[in-house]
Amino acid sequence: MPRLNEIVCVFRIQLANMRGETGPFLLAAVVFPSAMYLFAGAVGGAGAAGGEARLRFLAGSIVFSLSLTSISWLGYLMLENRFTGRLRLFATLPLAPSSYLCGFLAFALAQGALSTAALLAVGRWAGVPVRPSVAPLALVVVLTVLCLCGLGALVAARARSFTEGSLMTDALGAGLVFLAPVYYAPEAMPGWLGAASRWLPTTFAASAIRTALSGGHEVYGEVSALALTAAATLALGLRLTNWREG
Amino acid sequence: MTRGTTQTAAGREPPFAGETVSAGARAAALSARGLVKRYRDGTEANRGIDFDVCAGEVVSVLGPNGAGKTTFLRQLTTELRPTAGSVEVFGVDAVREPARAKRLMGVTPQEAGVFERLTVREHLELFARLKGMPRPEAHEASREVADELGLAPESGKRVGDLSGGQRRRVLVGLALLGRPPLLVLDEPTMGLDPASRRAVWGVILRAASRGAAVVLSTHYIEEAERLSDRVAVIIGGRLVALGSVEELLGRSGRGYRVTYGDPLDPDGETRSLYFASFDEARRHVEAERLSEYTVARASLEDVYFALTGQRATEEAREEAACRV
Repeated sequence: MPRLNEIVCVFRIQLANMRGETGPFLLAAVVFPSAMYLFAGAVGGAGAAGGEARLRFLAGSIVFSLSLTSISWLGYLMLENRFTGRLRLFATLPLAPSSYLCGFLAFALAQGALSTAALLAVGRWAGVPVRPSVAPLALVVVLTVLCLCGLGALVAARARSFTEGSLMTDALGAGLVFLAPVYYAPEAMPGWLGAASRWLPTTFAASAIRTALSGGHEVYGEVSALALTAAATLALGLRLTNWREG
Repeated sequence: MTRGTTQTAAGREPPFAGETVSAGARAAALSARGLVKRYRDGTEANRGIDFDVCAGEVVSVLGPNGAGKTTFLRQLTTELRPTAGSVEVFGVDAVREPARAKRLMGVTPQEAGVFERLTVREHLELFARLKGMPRPEAHEASREVADELGLAPESGKRVGDLSGGQRRRVLVGLALLGRPPLLVLDEPTMGLDPASRRAVWGVILRAASRGAAVVLSTHYIEEAERLSDRVAVIIGGRLVALGSVEELLGRSGRGYRVTYGDPLDPDGETRSLYFASFDEARRHVEAERLSEYTVARASLEDVYFALTGQRATEEAREEAACRV
Protein backbone atom coordinates (compact mmCIF):
# COMPACT_ATOMS: atom_id res chain seq x y z
CA MET A 1 0.00 0.00 0.00
CA PRO A 2 1.30 3.48 -0.78
CA ARG A 3 2.16 5.67 2.21
CA LEU A 4 1.73 9.42 2.36
CA ASN A 5 5.26 10.03 3.64
CA GLU A 6 6.74 8.01 0.77
CA ILE A 7 4.56 9.75 -1.82
CA VAL A 8 5.58 13.17 -0.47
CA CYS A 9 9.27 12.21 -0.58
CA VAL A 10 9.11 10.95 -4.18
CA PHE A 11 7.21 14.14 -5.08
CA ARG A 12 9.85 16.31 -3.36
CA ILE A 13 12.69 14.46 -5.08
CA GLN A 14 11.10 15.09 -8.49
CA LEU A 15 10.36 18.70 -7.59
CA ALA A 16 13.88 19.39 -6.33
CA ASN A 17 15.37 17.63 -9.33
CA MET A 18 13.37 19.91 -11.62
CA ARG A 19 15.29 23.00 -10.43
CA GLY A 20 16.84 24.68 -13.40
CA GLU A 21 14.29 23.11 -15.71
CA THR A 22 11.60 25.73 -15.12
CA GLY A 23 12.24 27.21 -18.55
CA PRO A 24 11.72 23.98 -20.49
CA PHE A 25 8.69 23.20 -18.31
CA LEU A 26 7.09 26.57 -19.10
CA LEU A 27 7.84 26.01 -22.78
CA ALA A 28 6.10 22.62 -22.79
CA ALA A 29 3.27 23.48 -20.43
CA VAL A 30 2.37 27.03 -21.41
CA VAL A 31 4.32 28.56 -24.29
CA PHE A 32 3.88 25.80 -26.93
CA PRO A 33 0.18 25.24 -26.13
CA SER A 34 -0.41 29.03 -26.18
CA ALA A 35 1.35 29.24 -29.52
CA MET A 36 -0.80 26.36 -30.76
CA TYR A 37 -3.89 28.28 -29.63
CA LEU A 38 -2.80 31.29 -31.67
CA PHE A 39 -1.81 29.09 -34.63
CA ALA A 40 -5.11 27.19 -34.62
CA GLY A 41 -6.97 30.47 -34.33
CA ALA A 42 -5.11 31.93 -37.31
CA VAL A 43 -5.54 28.80 -39.47
CA GLY A 44 -9.07 27.95 -38.33
CA GLY A 45 -10.38 31.47 -38.44
CA ALA A 46 -11.34 31.77 -34.81
CA GLY A 47 -12.31 35.37 -35.32
CA ALA A 48 -14.90 34.46 -37.94
CA ALA A 49 -16.19 31.35 -36.16
CA GLY A 50 -16.45 33.24 -32.90
CA GLY A 51 -16.50 32.01 -29.33
CA GLU A 52 -17.28 28.35 -30.06
CA ALA A 53 -14.11 27.84 -32.10
CA ARG A 54 -11.96 29.78 -29.64
CA LEU A 55 -13.29 27.63 -26.83
CA ARG A 56 -12.37 24.51 -28.84
CA PHE A 57 -8.85 25.83 -29.44
CA LEU A 58 -8.37 26.69 -25.77
CA ALA A 59 -9.61 23.25 -24.66
CA GLY A 60 -7.32 21.71 -27.29
CA SER A 61 -4.36 23.68 -25.95
CA ILE A 62 -5.06 22.55 -22.39
CA VAL A 63 -5.11 18.92 -23.59
CA PHE A 64 -1.92 19.55 -25.59
CA SER A 65 -0.25 20.95 -22.48
CA LEU A 66 -1.38 18.03 -20.30
CA SER A 67 -0.20 15.58 -22.95
CA LEU A 68 3.24 17.19 -23.22
CA THR A 69 3.76 17.40 -19.46
CA SER A 70 2.25 14.03 -18.57
CA ILE A 71 3.43 11.72 -21.35
CA SER A 72 6.48 13.42 -22.81
CA TRP A 73 7.91 15.02 -19.64
CA LEU A 74 6.89 12.55 -16.95
CA GLY A 75 7.52 9.59 -19.23
CA TYR A 76 10.99 10.99 -19.89
CA LEU A 77 11.67 11.31 -16.14
CA MET A 78 10.53 7.73 -15.56
CA LEU A 79 12.73 6.54 -18.39
CA GLU A 80 15.64 8.52 -16.97
CA ASN A 81 15.12 6.92 -13.56
CA ARG A 82 15.00 3.48 -15.14
CA PHE A 83 17.96 3.76 -17.48
CA THR A 84 20.33 5.79 -15.26
CA GLY A 85 19.94 3.38 -12.35
CA ARG A 86 17.96 5.75 -10.12
CA LEU A 87 15.10 3.29 -10.03
CA ARG A 88 17.52 0.82 -8.44
CA LEU A 89 18.01 3.24 -5.55
CA PHE A 90 14.26 3.21 -4.92
CA ALA A 91 14.09 -0.55 -5.43
CA THR A 92 16.58 -1.13 -2.60
CA LEU A 93 14.38 0.79 -0.16
CA PRO A 94 11.39 -0.59 1.74
CA LEU A 95 9.24 1.58 -0.52
CA ALA A 96 5.98 0.36 -2.03
CA PRO A 97 6.20 0.55 -5.85
CA SER A 98 2.75 2.17 -5.78
CA SER A 99 4.18 4.97 -3.59
CA TYR A 100 6.78 5.64 -6.25
CA LEU A 101 4.10 5.85 -8.93
CA CYS A 102 1.80 7.96 -6.73
CA GLY A 103 4.67 10.40 -6.05
CA PHE A 104 5.07 10.79 -9.80
CA LEU A 105 1.31 11.23 -10.24
CA ALA A 106 1.20 13.89 -7.53
CA PHE A 107 4.01 15.70 -9.34
CA ALA A 108 2.15 15.40 -12.64
CA LEU A 109 -1.09 16.67 -11.07
CA ALA A 110 0.71 19.72 -9.66
CA GLN A 111 2.13 20.41 -13.12
CA GLY A 112 -1.31 19.88 -14.69
CA ALA A 113 -2.96 22.30 -12.25
CA LEU A 114 -0.31 24.96 -12.92
CA SER A 115 -0.44 24.65 -16.67
CA THR A 116 -4.27 24.58 -16.80
CA ALA A 117 -4.48 27.70 -14.64
CA ALA A 118 -1.87 29.45 -16.81
CA LEU A 119 -3.71 28.54 -20.03
CA LEU A 120 -7.04 29.69 -18.61
CA ALA A 121 -5.39 33.03 -17.90
CA VAL A 122 -4.07 33.09 -21.49
CA GLY A 123 -7.61 32.30 -22.71
CA ARG A 124 -9.12 35.15 -20.73
CA TRP A 125 -6.42 37.49 -22.01
CA ALA A 126 -7.20 36.36 -25.59
CA GLY A 127 -10.90 37.05 -25.03
CA VAL A 128 -12.17 33.46 -25.03
CA PRO A 129 -15.66 33.39 -23.49
CA VAL A 130 -14.75 31.10 -20.59
CA ARG A 131 -17.34 30.33 -17.87
CA PRO A 132 -15.68 27.31 -16.27
CA SER A 133 -17.54 24.82 -14.07
CA VAL A 134 -14.72 24.32 -11.63
CA ALA A 135 -15.56 20.87 -10.23
CA PRO A 136 -16.08 19.11 -13.60
CA LEU A 137 -13.02 20.88 -15.03
CA ALA A 138 -10.85 19.84 -12.09
CA LEU A 139 -12.12 16.25 -12.28
CA VAL A 140 -11.47 16.01 -16.02
CA VAL A 141 -7.99 17.53 -15.70
CA VAL A 142 -7.11 15.08 -12.90
CA LEU A 143 -8.37 12.06 -14.86
CA THR A 144 -6.67 13.22 -18.07
CA VAL A 145 -3.36 13.59 -16.24
CA LEU A 146 -3.73 10.13 -14.63
CA CYS A 147 -4.67 8.56 -17.94
CA LEU A 148 -1.77 10.13 -19.85
CA CYS A 149 0.69 9.37 -17.03
CA GLY A 150 -0.42 5.75 -17.23
CA LEU A 151 0.52 5.72 -20.91
CA GLY A 152 3.87 7.36 -20.07
CA ALA A 153 4.49 4.74 -17.37
CA LEU A 154 3.71 1.95 -19.84
CA VAL A 155 6.22 3.29 -22.34
CA ALA A 156 8.82 3.83 -19.60
CA ALA A 157 8.30 0.26 -18.36
CA ARG A 158 8.50 -1.46 -21.73
CA ALA A 159 11.05 0.57 -23.71
CA ARG A 160 14.14 -1.42 -24.63
CA SER A 161 16.41 1.62 -24.49
CA PHE A 162 16.36 5.20 -23.33
CA THR A 163 16.41 6.47 -26.92
CA GLU A 164 13.53 4.25 -27.97
CA GLY A 165 11.53 5.27 -24.91
CA SER A 166 12.06 9.01 -25.27
CA LEU A 167 11.14 8.84 -28.97
CA MET A 168 7.99 6.95 -28.05
CA THR A 169 6.94 9.38 -25.31
CA ASP A 170 7.57 12.37 -27.59
CA ALA A 171 5.63 10.80 -30.45
CA LEU A 172 2.79 9.74 -28.18
CA GLY A 173 2.64 13.13 -26.42
CA ALA A 174 2.16 15.01 -29.68
CA GLY A 175 0.50 12.23 -31.69
CA LEU A 176 -2.39 11.73 -29.27
CA VAL A 177 -3.23 15.42 -29.68
CA PHE A 178 -2.95 15.67 -33.44
CA LEU A 179 -4.64 12.32 -34.18
CA ALA A 180 -7.66 13.28 -32.07
CA PRO A 181 -10.27 15.94 -32.85
CA VAL A 182 -8.72 18.29 -30.32
CA TYR A 183 -8.13 21.40 -32.40
CA TYR A 184 -10.78 20.64 -35.05
CA ALA A 185 -14.22 19.07 -35.32
CA PRO A 186 -14.42 15.26 -35.77
CA GLU A 187 -16.23 15.81 -39.08
CA ALA A 188 -13.08 17.34 -40.51
CA MET A 189 -11.23 14.02 -40.19
CA PRO A 190 -11.15 11.19 -42.75
CA GLY A 191 -13.86 8.63 -41.93
CA TRP A 192 -11.64 5.79 -40.71
CA LEU A 193 -9.45 8.10 -38.64
CA GLY A 194 -12.48 9.80 -37.16
CA ALA A 195 -13.87 6.43 -36.10
CA ALA A 196 -10.59 5.37 -34.53
CA SER A 197 -9.93 8.69 -32.85
CA ARG A 198 -13.29 8.59 -31.06
CA TRP A 199 -11.68 6.18 -28.60
CA LEU A 200 -8.55 8.18 -27.84
CA PRO A 201 -8.30 9.58 -24.29
CA THR A 202 -7.41 13.00 -25.70
CA THR A 203 -10.74 13.05 -27.58
CA PHE A 204 -12.67 12.45 -24.36
CA ALA A 205 -10.51 14.98 -22.53
CA ALA A 206 -10.94 17.72 -25.14
CA SER A 207 -14.67 17.20 -25.32
CA ALA A 208 -15.12 17.24 -21.54
CA ILE A 209 -12.85 20.26 -21.02
CA ARG A 210 -14.76 22.14 -23.72
CA THR A 211 -18.03 21.37 -21.95
CA ALA A 212 -16.62 22.38 -18.56
CA LEU A 213 -15.11 25.61 -19.93
CA SER A 214 -18.48 26.66 -21.30
CA GLY A 215 -20.13 26.11 -17.91
CA GLY A 216 -21.55 22.64 -18.62
CA HIS A 217 -21.63 19.72 -16.22
CA GLU A 218 -22.60 16.92 -18.61
CA VAL A 219 -19.24 15.16 -18.74
CA TYR A 220 -20.23 11.78 -17.30
CA GLY A 221 -19.47 9.72 -20.40
CA GLU A 222 -16.04 11.28 -20.92
CA VAL A 223 -15.22 11.04 -17.20
CA SER A 224 -16.13 7.35 -17.16
CA ALA A 225 -14.01 6.65 -20.23
CA LEU A 226 -11.05 8.59 -18.84
CA ALA A 227 -11.38 6.90 -15.44
CA LEU A 228 -11.43 3.44 -17.01
CA THR A 229 -8.45 4.19 -19.24
CA ALA A 230 -6.52 5.71 -16.30
CA ALA A 231 -7.19 2.68 -14.11
CA ALA A 232 -6.17 0.26 -16.86
CA THR A 233 -2.98 2.07 -17.96
CA LEU A 234 -1.80 2.82 -14.42
CA ALA A 235 -2.42 -0.72 -13.22
CA LEU A 236 -0.60 -2.13 -16.22
CA GLY A 237 2.23 0.43 -15.96
CA LEU A 238 2.74 -0.43 -12.30
CA ARG A 239 2.68 -4.14 -13.02
CA LEU A 240 5.16 -3.89 -15.87
CA THR A 241 7.62 -1.62 -14.06
CA ASN A 242 10.67 -3.74 -13.46
CA TRP A 243 10.82 -3.13 -9.75
CA ARG A 244 12.03 -6.58 -8.92
CA GLU A 245 13.48 -8.71 -11.68
CA GLY A 246 11.99 -12.16 -12.05
CA MET B 1 46.68 -6.94 8.16
CA THR B 2 43.37 -8.71 8.28
CA ARG B 3 40.50 -8.36 10.68
CA GLY B 4 40.73 -11.92 11.91
CA THR B 5 37.87 -14.12 12.96
CA THR B 6 38.21 -13.31 16.65
CA GLN B 7 36.74 -9.87 16.07
CA THR B 8 33.39 -11.17 14.90
CA ALA B 9 30.42 -10.80 17.12
CA ALA B 10 28.30 -13.67 15.88
CA GLY B 11 25.06 -14.07 17.68
CA ARG B 12 24.63 -10.42 18.59
CA GLU B 13 21.14 -9.00 18.25
CA PRO B 14 20.56 -6.60 15.38
CA PRO B 15 20.78 -3.00 16.62
CA PHE B 16 17.44 -2.07 15.15
CA ALA B 17 14.41 -1.38 17.22
CA GLY B 18 11.79 -1.11 14.54
CA GLU B 19 11.66 -4.74 13.45
CA THR B 20 10.87 -7.92 15.31
CA VAL B 21 13.11 -10.82 14.40
CA SER B 22 12.64 -14.45 15.22
CA ALA B 23 14.77 -15.68 18.06
CA GLY B 24 16.01 -18.74 16.25
CA ALA B 25 17.61 -16.74 13.49
CA ARG B 26 19.71 -14.41 15.61
CA ALA B 27 22.94 -16.29 15.02
CA ALA B 28 22.95 -15.43 11.32
CA ALA B 29 22.17 -11.92 10.18
CA LEU B 30 21.88 -13.20 6.65
CA SER B 31 21.47 -16.73 5.48
CA ALA B 32 21.25 -17.87 1.86
CA ARG B 33 20.64 -21.50 0.92
CA GLY B 34 20.93 -23.09 -2.51
CA LEU B 35 20.68 -19.80 -4.38
CA VAL B 36 20.23 -20.35 -8.09
CA LYS B 37 19.65 -17.78 -10.79
CA ARG B 38 18.80 -19.08 -14.22
CA TYR B 39 17.87 -16.54 -16.91
CA ARG B 40 15.33 -17.14 -19.66
CA ASP B 41 18.06 -17.78 -22.22
CA GLY B 42 19.31 -20.65 -20.03
CA THR B 43 22.33 -18.81 -18.62
CA GLU B 44 23.02 -19.84 -15.06
CA ALA B 45 24.45 -16.91 -13.14
CA ASN B 46 24.39 -18.65 -9.75
CA ARG B 47 24.46 -22.40 -9.26
CA GLY B 48 23.48 -23.15 -5.70
CA ILE B 49 25.19 -20.80 -3.28
CA ASP B 50 25.07 -21.36 0.50
CA PHE B 51 26.18 -18.36 2.49
CA ASP B 52 25.87 -16.95 6.04
CA VAL B 53 26.93 -13.71 7.63
CA CYS B 54 26.76 -13.00 11.33
CA ALA B 55 26.16 -9.73 13.12
CA GLY B 56 29.36 -7.73 13.44
CA GLU B 57 31.05 -9.65 10.66
CA VAL B 58 32.44 -8.32 7.38
CA VAL B 59 32.45 -10.74 4.46
CA SER B 60 33.99 -9.71 1.15
CA VAL B 61 32.90 -11.36 -2.07
CA LEU B 62 35.64 -11.70 -4.66
CA GLY B 63 35.56 -13.09 -8.16
CA PRO B 64 36.47 -12.28 -11.74
CA ASN B 65 34.21 -10.14 -13.91
CA GLY B 66 31.05 -12.02 -14.81
CA ALA B 67 31.52 -14.57 -12.03
CA GLY B 68 28.08 -13.87 -10.61
CA LYS B 69 28.96 -11.59 -7.68
CA THR B 70 26.51 -8.83 -8.54
CA THR B 71 23.76 -11.33 -9.35
CA PHE B 72 24.37 -12.92 -5.97
CA LEU B 73 24.28 -9.58 -4.14
CA ARG B 74 21.14 -8.52 -6.01
CA GLN B 75 19.47 -11.71 -4.89
CA LEU B 76 20.43 -10.93 -1.29
CA THR B 77 18.95 -7.44 -1.56
CA THR B 78 15.69 -8.81 -3.04
CA GLU B 79 16.25 -6.90 -6.28
CA LEU B 80 16.52 -10.13 -8.20
CA ARG B 81 14.17 -13.01 -7.52
CA PRO B 82 16.09 -16.30 -7.21
CA THR B 83 15.12 -19.16 -9.51
CA ALA B 84 15.61 -21.47 -6.55
CA GLY B 85 16.84 -21.21 -3.00
CA SER B 86 16.12 -19.02 -0.02
CA VAL B 87 17.42 -15.83 1.59
CA GLU B 88 16.70 -14.96 5.19
CA VAL B 89 17.56 -11.62 6.76
CA PHE B 90 17.42 -11.87 10.56
CA GLY B 91 14.88 -14.65 10.11
CA VAL B 92 12.74 -12.74 7.61
CA ASP B 93 12.14 -14.58 4.34
CA ALA B 94 13.52 -12.01 1.87
CA VAL B 95 12.08 -13.80 -1.16
CA ARG B 96 8.50 -13.75 0.15
CA GLU B 97 8.64 -10.57 2.22
CA PRO B 98 11.08 -8.29 0.42
CA ALA B 99 9.75 -5.05 1.93
CA ARG B 100 10.19 -6.37 5.48
CA ALA B 101 13.67 -7.65 4.70
CA LYS B 102 14.66 -4.35 3.10
CA ARG B 103 13.83 -2.50 6.33
CA LEU B 104 16.75 -4.38 7.89
CA MET B 105 19.34 -3.57 5.27
CA GLY B 106 21.23 -0.71 3.69
CA VAL B 107 22.26 -1.27 0.09
CA THR B 108 24.71 0.35 -2.27
CA PRO B 109 24.03 -1.01 -5.76
CA GLN B 110 26.92 -1.26 -8.18
CA GLU B 111 25.38 0.89 -10.87
CA ALA B 112 22.95 3.35 -9.41
CA GLY B 113 22.27 6.88 -10.50
CA VAL B 114 21.95 9.94 -8.32
CA PHE B 115 19.58 12.88 -8.63
CA GLU B 116 22.01 15.43 -9.93
CA ARG B 117 20.04 18.56 -9.06
CA LEU B 118 19.51 17.56 -5.43
CA THR B 119 22.07 18.72 -2.90
CA VAL B 120 23.95 16.13 -0.85
CA ARG B 121 21.88 17.11 2.20
CA GLU B 122 18.59 16.80 0.32
CA HIS B 123 19.64 13.45 -1.09
CA LEU B 124 20.48 12.03 2.31
CA GLU B 125 17.51 13.54 4.13
CA LEU B 126 14.90 12.53 1.57
CA PHE B 127 16.20 8.98 1.39
CA ALA B 128 16.30 8.82 5.19
CA ARG B 129 12.63 9.87 5.16
CA LEU B 130 11.95 7.16 2.56
CA LYS B 131 13.47 4.67 4.99
CA GLY B 132 10.72 5.68 7.38
CA MET B 133 12.66 8.03 9.67
CA PRO B 134 10.81 11.03 11.15
CA ARG B 135 12.05 14.45 9.96
CA PRO B 136 14.31 15.33 12.97
CA GLU B 137 15.91 11.88 12.93
CA ALA B 138 16.38 12.03 9.17
CA HIS B 139 18.11 15.39 9.53
CA GLU B 140 20.39 14.08 12.27
CA ALA B 141 21.15 10.83 10.42
CA SER B 142 22.05 12.63 7.22
CA ARG B 143 24.34 15.01 9.12
CA GLU B 144 26.07 12.07 10.83
CA VAL B 145 26.53 10.17 7.57
CA ALA B 146 27.88 13.25 5.77
CA ASP B 147 30.37 13.78 8.61
CA GLU B 148 31.43 10.12 8.62
CA LEU B 149 32.05 10.07 4.88
CA GLY B 150 33.79 13.45 4.77
CA LEU B 151 30.93 14.94 2.78
CA ALA B 152 29.98 17.64 5.32
CA PRO B 153 31.71 20.48 3.40
CA GLU B 154 29.80 19.39 0.29
CA SER B 155 26.39 19.17 1.99
CA GLY B 156 25.00 22.23 0.25
CA LYS B 157 26.40 21.32 -3.18
CA ARG B 158 24.36 19.72 -5.90
CA VAL B 159 25.28 16.09 -6.41
CA GLY B 160 25.78 16.79 -10.11
CA ASP B 161 28.63 19.15 -9.22
CA LEU B 162 30.53 16.51 -7.23
CA SER B 163 33.36 14.31 -8.47
CA GLY B 164 32.69 10.67 -9.33
CA GLY B 165 34.27 9.54 -6.05
CA GLN B 166 32.16 11.93 -4.00
CA ARG B 167 29.01 10.69 -5.74
CA ARG B 168 30.00 7.14 -4.90
CA ARG B 169 30.36 8.20 -1.27
CA VAL B 170 26.86 9.68 -1.39
CA LEU B 171 25.58 6.29 -2.57
CA VAL B 172 27.41 4.55 0.27
CA GLY B 173 25.92 7.15 2.61
CA LEU B 174 22.40 6.26 1.50
CA ALA B 175 23.03 2.68 2.61
CA LEU B 176 24.29 3.79 6.03
CA LEU B 177 21.27 5.97 6.87
CA GLY B 178 19.47 4.70 9.94
CA ARG B 179 22.34 2.35 10.85
CA PRO B 180 20.74 -0.78 9.39
CA PRO B 181 21.90 -4.06 10.95
CA LEU B 182 22.85 -5.46 7.53
CA LEU B 183 24.85 -3.65 4.86
CA VAL B 184 25.13 -5.02 1.34
CA LEU B 185 27.62 -2.97 -0.63
CA ASP B 186 28.37 -3.78 -4.26
CA GLU B 187 31.85 -2.41 -5.00
CA PRO B 188 31.50 0.48 -2.54
CA THR B 189 34.95 1.90 -3.26
CA MET B 190 34.84 1.62 -7.04
CA GLY B 191 36.48 4.70 -8.54
CA LEU B 192 37.53 6.22 -5.21
CA ASP B 193 40.93 7.79 -4.60
CA PRO B 194 43.05 6.19 -1.84
CA ALA B 195 42.00 8.72 0.83
CA SER B 196 38.29 8.36 0.06
CA ARG B 197 38.68 4.58 -0.03
CA ARG B 198 40.16 4.64 3.45
CA ALA B 199 37.32 6.85 4.65
CA VAL B 200 34.82 4.28 3.38
CA TRP B 201 36.83 1.46 4.95
CA GLY B 202 36.64 3.30 8.28
CA VAL B 203 32.88 3.64 7.93
CA ILE B 204 32.48 -0.07 7.16
CA LEU B 205 34.64 -1.13 10.09
CA ARG B 206 32.81 1.21 12.47
CA ALA B 207 29.46 -0.17 11.28
CA ALA B 208 30.72 -3.72 11.93
CA SER B 209 32.06 -2.76 15.35
CA ARG B 210 28.58 -1.44 16.18
CA GLY B 211 27.22 -4.89 15.34
CA ALA B 212 26.18 -4.56 11.71
CA ALA B 213 26.74 -7.48 9.36
CA VAL B 214 28.45 -6.36 6.16
CA VAL B 215 28.60 -8.11 2.79
CA LEU B 216 30.60 -6.30 0.16
CA SER B 217 31.90 -7.17 -3.25
CA THR B 218 35.18 -5.82 -4.44
CA HIS B 219 37.88 -6.24 -7.04
CA TYR B 220 40.51 -4.88 -4.67
CA ILE B 221 42.15 -7.80 -2.91
CA GLU B 222 43.91 -5.49 -0.47
CA GLU B 223 40.51 -4.14 0.49
CA ALA B 224 39.12 -7.61 1.12
CA GLU B 225 42.19 -8.47 3.17
CA ARG B 226 41.98 -5.30 5.25
CA LEU B 227 38.28 -5.32 5.96
CA SER B 228 37.10 -8.87 6.05
CA ASP B 229 36.57 -11.41 8.75
CA ARG B 230 35.87 -13.86 5.95
CA VAL B 231 36.31 -13.85 2.22
CA ALA B 232 34.03 -15.56 -0.30
CA VAL B 233 35.23 -16.35 -3.80
CA ILE B 234 32.65 -16.86 -6.51
CA ILE B 235 33.67 -18.33 -9.84
CA GLY B 236 31.27 -19.35 -12.57
CA GLY B 237 28.28 -18.82 -10.31
CA ARG B 238 29.63 -21.15 -7.62
CA LEU B 239 30.98 -20.30 -4.19
CA VAL B 240 34.39 -21.96 -4.45
CA ALA B 241 35.87 -20.69 -1.19
CA LEU B 242 34.63 -19.14 2.02
CA GLY B 243 36.68 -18.51 5.12
CA SER B 244 39.09 -16.18 6.85
CA VAL B 245 42.25 -15.32 4.96
CA GLU B 246 44.21 -17.63 7.26
CA GLU B 247 41.79 -20.47 6.65
CA LEU B 248 41.91 -19.99 2.90
CA LEU B 249 45.71 -19.94 2.95
CA GLY B 250 45.74 -23.07 5.06
CA ARG B 251 43.26 -24.90 2.85
CA SER B 252 45.09 -23.98 -0.31
CA GLY B 253 48.38 -25.34 0.99
CA ARG B 254 49.95 -22.01 0.08
CA GLY B 255 51.16 -20.62 3.38
CA TYR B 256 54.55 -19.45 2.08
CA ARG B 257 55.86 -18.26 -1.24
CA VAL B 258 59.44 -18.72 -2.41
CA THR B 259 60.40 -16.35 -5.20
CA TYR B 260 63.65 -16.78 -7.04
CA GLY B 261 65.32 -16.12 -10.35
CA ASP B 262 67.35 -18.45 -12.56
CA PRO B 263 71.03 -17.78 -11.64
CA LEU B 264 72.04 -18.72 -15.19
CA ASP B 265 69.58 -16.24 -16.68
CA PRO B 266 69.71 -12.99 -14.66
CA ASP B 267 67.34 -11.22 -17.08
CA GLY B 268 64.83 -14.05 -16.99
CA GLU B 269 61.51 -14.06 -15.18
CA THR B 270 61.33 -14.74 -11.49
CA ARG B 271 59.54 -17.89 -10.43
CA SER B 272 57.24 -18.46 -7.48
CA LEU B 273 56.61 -21.69 -5.67
CA TYR B 274 54.20 -22.19 -2.80
CA PHE B 275 54.57 -24.30 0.33
CA ALA B 276 52.27 -25.13 3.17
CA SER B 277 54.83 -24.32 5.87
CA PHE B 278 57.95 -22.28 6.34
CA ASP B 279 59.97 -25.48 6.94
CA GLU B 280 58.88 -26.93 3.62
CA ALA B 281 59.89 -23.68 1.91
CA ARG B 282 63.28 -23.73 3.61
CA ARG B 283 63.87 -27.37 2.66
CA HIS B 284 63.15 -26.53 -0.96
CA VAL B 285 65.59 -23.60 -0.88
CA GLU B 286 68.28 -25.87 0.55
CA ALA B 287 67.58 -28.73 -1.86
CA GLU B 288 67.75 -26.42 -4.88
CA ARG B 289 70.74 -24.58 -3.42
CA LEU B 290 69.17 -21.24 -4.22
CA SER B 291 71.43 -18.29 -3.50
CA GLU B 292 69.08 -15.41 -4.23
CA TYR B 293 65.52 -15.86 -3.16
CA THR B 294 62.79 -14.44 -0.95
CA VAL B 295 60.48 -16.36 1.33
CA ALA B 296 57.30 -14.55 2.24
CA ARG B 297 53.93 -15.30 3.77
CA ALA B 298 51.49 -15.98 0.96
CA SER B 299 48.68 -13.49 0.63
CA LEU B 300 45.01 -13.55 -0.25
CA GLU B 301 46.05 -12.51 -3.73
CA ASP B 302 48.03 -15.75 -4.10
CA VAL B 303 45.02 -17.81 -3.03
CA TYR B 304 42.70 -15.81 -5.27
CA PHE B 305 44.83 -16.31 -8.34
CA ALA B 306 45.25 -19.98 -7.53
CA LEU B 307 41.47 -20.37 -7.35
CA THR B 308 40.66 -18.38 -10.44
CA GLY B 309 43.70 -19.41 -12.48
CA GLN B 310 43.73 -15.82 -13.71
CA ARG B 311 47.36 -15.04 -13.12
CA ALA B 312 48.48 -18.06 -15.10
CA THR B 313 46.23 -17.08 -17.97
CA GLU B 314 47.37 -13.48 -17.87
CA GLU B 315 51.03 -14.46 -17.74
CA ALA B 316 50.58 -16.85 -20.65
CA ARG B 317 48.89 -14.11 -22.65
CA GLU B 318 51.65 -11.60 -21.84
CA GLU B 319 54.28 -14.17 -22.76
CA ALA B 320 52.58 -14.85 -26.08
CA ALA B 321 52.37 -11.13 -26.76
CA CYS B 322 56.11 -10.74 -26.04
CA ARG B 323 56.95 -13.56 -28.46
CA VAL B 324 54.94 -11.88 -31.21
